[in-house]
Amino acid sequence: MAKKNRVAIVGVGYSDVSRGTGYTLDKLTAQASVAAMNDAGIKPTDIDGVVVHSFPHQFVSSTHTAAMLGIPDLAFYSGNVDGAAYSVAAMHAIAAIASGSAETVLTIRTVHKNGAAGGGGPVGQYIPGNQQLSQPYGSFAGSHWAGMYMQRHMAMYGSTEEDFGAFAIAQRKFAVANPTESFFHEELTMEDYLNSRYIAKPLHLFDCDYPVDSSSALIFTTEERARDMKQKPVFFDSWANGTTKEADFSLVGDMTHSSPWMASKRMWSRTSLKPSDVDTAGLYDGFSFIAMQWFEALGFCGEGESGAFVRSGATSATGSLPTNTDGGACNVGRRHGANFFIEVTRQLRGTAGDRALPKKPEVGVVSNAVGGFAACALLTAE
Amino acid sequence: MTTEVLPPLPLVNELTAPFWEGASKGQLVIQHCNACGHFQHAPEPICSACLSFDLGSAAVSGKGTVYTFCISTQAFHPWFEDKLPFVLAVVELDDQPGLKMITNVVGVNPNDVKVGDRVEVTFQPLAEGFVLPVFRPVAQ
Repeated sequence: MAKKNRVAIVGVGYSDVSRGTGYTLDKLTAQASVAAMNDAGIKPTDIDGVVVHSFPHQFVSSTHTAAMLGIPDLAFYSGNVDGAAYSVAAMHAIAAIASGSAETVLTIRTVHKNGAAGGGGPVGQYIPGNQQLSQPYGSFAGSHWAGMYMQRHMAMYGSTEEDFGAFAIAQRKFAVANPTESFFHEELTMEDYLNSRYIAKPLHLFDCDYPVDSSSALIFTTEERARDMKQKPVFFDSWANGTTKEADFSLVGDMTHSSPWMASKRMWSRTSLKPSDVDTAGLYDGFSFIAMQWFEALGFCGEGESGAFVRSGATSATGSLPTNTDGGACNVGRRHGANFFIEVTRQLRGTAGDRALPKKPEVGVVSNAVGGFAACALLTAE
Repeated sequence: MTTEVLPPLPLVNELTAPFWEGASKGQLVIQHCNACGHFQHAPEPICSACLSFDLGSAAVSGKGTVYTFCISTQAFHPWFEDKLPFVLAVVELDDQPGLKMITNVVGVNPNDVKVGDRVEVTFQPLAEGFVLPVFRPVAQ
């Protein structure tokens, strides 16, 4: 019978990241993997599991990744194209280690700049499957459902564009303090936010993550192995997926209570920690409303109150829940969730450098995605 | 030389055929379970309510409520370039709680659309013989 192991994060790393690296997906994947191994102080032969999450047209398989890195034999591998982006890789790796299927697992999310923006196919192409019931209406991009989620929240709770703007402004402050990773170096004003063009009103340009070429890698292992590695380990306390009955993001039953609510409820049911124990958060911001839904779903504020929560300063460096302290994907570029796991890890183990929070955090929460599928996890420094 | 810009057109299959054939006759037709009477949209090969594979279709009232919407101001396909801004919406149909579809709301200033507006189906020619069911405000 497999044993149940406590799971730790022991290495984090990024590839070169830019609007156009000119690098292949393979090279980006290899760069991030090497960076994470160097951070952990381990060699490819120390790794016995590889998990990747990708989109089908950007797929670099786990076995190909292992071959590039000279990993001789995999006890566990998974290449996933479905679900909540990087967190799927994390969830598979956690399950593999917790169950004893593997000991040390490399997790990866690689994305090319133009790979996730959405958009129609070539003109004249006939639309297969159920997309033929949305694309003729002009529904192509994540920004379309994102605008509709925002609108529903505004109608249900009286939230305003300024509420979402407050979040964009708050996380930009962290980005300015992270000049080596952020693509944006000046604070954002409400005027800037409101004057940024609409993509799908009420969704503004500054509600959207910033498309880049990037690969992110994290290495997970057992507590026993983690104790002998270079970095102070950060542990998974609780983790959970959640989905909605409807797979189509535009057709989920309740847009203001989508999959983050299911994942959050499940995560809290598996821990003795409470929202008030959490010192820092890394909440997915593919669109700013997503992080806002997570504040509500995770219980950091009441239903519909995420705008007031952000405006109170709670998510700032000196607030009760410093959130997206690297600047978030709107500023450091699209990492499809991995940057939150990486940044919260750096804060918890004390390697955030100049960005170390004034009060050293002991417990962090990370999340990924919204709508049809989502995942979240609690991380602890000990 | 100019190339005609076509809209995204459906590659009709056995599940979507009733929707498109109904629209061409001026009816909003939704997949309907012959075993339990459950409507589902988009159509699937199995009824998610009772797991029956015996699925048909039925015309619905065409009346509904705007569940949510956005005003699309950026085209992600050339067909929509000269149609901006347009209202992309999710309409909840009266025929079954939670039965929703992606659609457009037309015949109204986009800035006047509100969540909760009552709407009814209307039909717009698309291209190549296809007709698109869209919604307009119900006359007060």
